[in-house]
Amino acid sequence: MRAEPTPAIETRPLAHPVARRRRAVRPGELLLLATALVSAIVLVYPTAWVFFASFKTQETLFSGEFADYTLENYRRLFASGFGVHIGNSLVISLAAVLISTFVSVIAAYVFSRRRFRWKATIFGGVMLGQTFPWIILVTPVFILFARLGLLNTYLGIVVCYVAVTIPFSVYLLVGYLESVPRSLDEMAIIDGCPPFLVIWRIVFPIMLPGVVATATYAFLLCWSEYLFALALLTRTEMKTMPLVLYAFFGEHTTEWGQVMAAAALTALPPLLLFLPLQTKLSAGLAAGAVKQ
Amino acid sequence: MRGNRAFVGLLLLPALFFLIVFYVYPTVFNLQNSLTDLSLFGLRRGGRWVGLRNYVDTVWLTLISVSVRIVLGLLLALLVNSDTLRRWRLATLFHVILIVPWATPPIVAVVIWRWMLDPRAGVVNKLLMVSGLVPEPVAFLSDVTFVWPSLITIITWNTLPLVTLTFLASLKAIPSEVLEAASVDGASKLRSVWHVVLPHLMPAVVVMTLMSTFWTFNNFVYVWLTTGAGPGLYTNVMATEVYLKAFVDGRMGYSSALGIVMAAIMTAFGLLYLRFVVRRELREAF
Repeated sequence: MRAEPTPAIETRPLAHPVARRRRAVRPGELLLLATALVSAIVLVYPTAWVFFASFKTQETLFSGEFADYTLENYRRLFASGFGVHIGNSLVISLAAVLISTFVSVIAAYVFSRRRFRWKATIFGGVMLGQTFPWIILVTPVFILFARLGLLNTYLGIVVCYVAVTIPFSVYLLVGYLESVPRSLDEMAIIDGCPPFLVIWRIVFPIMLPGVVATATYAFLLCWSEYLFALALLTRTEMKTMPLVLYAFFGEHTTEWGQVMAAAALTALPPLLLFLPLQTKLSAGLAAGAVKQ
Repeated sequence: MRGNRAFVGLLLLPALFFLIVFYVYPTVFNLQNSLTDLSLFGLRRGGRWVGLRNYVDTVWLTLISVSVRIVLGLLLALLVNSDTLRRWRLATLFHVILIVPWATPPIVAVVIWRWMLDPRAGVVNKLLMVSGLVPEPVAFLSDVTFVWPSLITIITWNTLPLVTLTFLASLKAIPSEVLEAASVDGASKLRSVWHVVLPHLMPAVVVMTLMSTFWTFNNFVYVWLTTGAGPGLYTNVMATEVYLKAFVDGRMGYSSALGIVMAAIMTAFGLLYLRFVVRRELREAF
């Protein structure tokens, strides 16, 4: 390394006066700022527009007018029984996330902390689940569930979502566990603490931020899942929000107000969950990639 | 340690149970199904590989949309991380902005974009007409010239933030001394991006390239909900073909055979992923 500290410090005073003269914008900077503005609009406009449009009346929906805001779209949406589907989505996603995260935490602990034969092979097998095309699972799972009477049940779709979220959750959690020092849980084991208590009382609290991030990802995955829901939930009263939203979209394309209200309600929970967690989430996902 | 082995087995049992029921069993089922009808061999009919066109389309869609995502993701990350945006205190705001498309469920993304690309009421056509770029509205999703670019736009919009945020996290991890050393040595901005920043980002680029390859190659939802594999069967990728054959045409054997081909290709990529990503990240555990 030939990074000498003195010149680095000498460059500092040069950087500061520029920072202080914030009003003076160079053409290059202007271009950057303009690009940033356009990118920001493209990224935010579509989602923002859905929320905006969901409060507009059918007449003003397509015009740029800012008048006439109404809750009518939501009122009619709930009158058509959309509340049931919100309930379905919440129950299914929350149950699946709880079970999947619980199972994944235990599996991640074992993969990260224990030595056993075939470990690399079994772990590799679990990881390959991430690369698997879900579409080819649909037919066999449908037939299996039909035989077991699990079609159109909460149990069936929850089991399915648990299975599809495990590989990614285990991947993220093992990544987190690798950044937690082993000394703590190893010491507890030497002190004679029962292994299951070690997971629950020592490992789990330390990795809680990682668990929260993992659960959030799993939630987004379950909440917006369409394919399995399409195959396994055929009765109207069992359907989740994405299915109903798309059906709305197909059937009454004239009822744009209702489509927008349904879309806004489908997008709201992930946004509420993700926005507060933002920096942690992206840092967590990149943890492995950042490590050199 | 026999006790250890039993304990490890007990702890892994729940996760492995779900995975065996959901991944191993269906794979065996598909294999069996594709072989009983001899469909795996039947994919080759009259000297031509049936399903090859879906395959080619899928590969193109994956290749292009993954490249677009990586390139735009890199540019956007460099933009957000630039001194200018930091000085104007816009970097944090951009982190929030990037969350919005990412947290938007794909189904909602498709609904919005189909609305925006609509020939009559869509805002994209309105903008194009007002600015005089096109004389009459463009039917983005039913015109074969525009349907692929439209699909790629929708997929990119929804998935770009994840790629960008990963690159941003990786950029933040570059020690500032390294960059300062480069500028002291007289390296220009562009040169230090090329010689210092990009090599540092390579691991993140590899992870995101592989991951978005799986996500795009396997994805059914974007294409199915946006175009329904149409116009005609113009955008019929492998995932939609597997679905159409199984649930619309009732040709299970063919569908299973195509599914097995998909799984085989993705397993090959998966092995690369294990070798270059998982192995390196979790080095200490193994």
